[in-house]
Amino acid sequence: MENRNSSTADRELLLTRTLNAPVELVWEVWSKPEHIAKWWGPTGFTNTISIMDFQPGGKWNLVMHGPDGVDYPNESTFVEVVPNKKIVYEHTSYPHIIATIDFEDLGEKTGLTWHMLFDSREDFIAVAQK
Amino acid sequence: MKARRDVYQAIADPTRRAIINMIAAQPHNVNTIAEKFDVTRQAISLHVQILIDCGLIKITQQGRDRVCEAQLQELSEVSAWVEQYRQHWESKLDAMEQYIEQLKKERYGKQE
Repeated sequence: MENRNSSTADRELLLTRTLNAPVELVWEVWSKPEHIAKWWGPTGFTNTISIMDFQPGGKWNLVMHGPDGVDYPNESTFVEVVPNKKIVYEHTSYPHIIATIDFEDLGEKTGLTWHMLFDSREDFIAVAQK
Repeated sequence: MKARRDVYQAIADPTRRAIINMIAAQPHNVNTIAEKFDVTRQAISLHVQILIDCGLIKITQQGRDRVCEAQLQELSEVSAWVEQYRQHWESKLDAMEQYIEQLKKERYGKQE
């Protein structure tokens, strides 16, 4: 179970958004590498996804190519994949993050929450400071 | 001249964070702080000194007491980093939202 009590408040990031699209479409852009590569960004970056084994225990390797020619490899493992409901992945390269994305079916809209939990406040601040 | 310590160093330690939390609610004297923690008085004095050097604590002498008061404006530097970092992730969601709109257009034609 994920832990969202106050003891994690100083090392987590929570993003929420209501999207103007049905949950099936939002799920699709999260679940296929050809879609993720198009929006993962950041602005000015391109992305190469060499592996995306979208199932619990599956690997997800994404390399962000910066505008300055620098590559930023990201390795993750999917922990939970519940179609149209939930994705949990563990970012195994630095910084270690457990990320949980919840999808809420609101008919023509979708409620999305993206929760990222860092190992420690120190990690969180060090990454934010960059 | 003493090297200026930064606020990141101040909050990198859990005991120092606990001290800040304690005196943020109410100023305390150094002895009272020391009693609340399961470490030596000396260790607390050192933590307090680092917090003073970082500008997070101001000490005033009140009679025989050295009273510690929190100076929290320094911490806003940290919240600025966190806010910037949040914007980094929010911008991914912006891009995703735009991408979804583009897909909707391609698939269903006329969308707003």
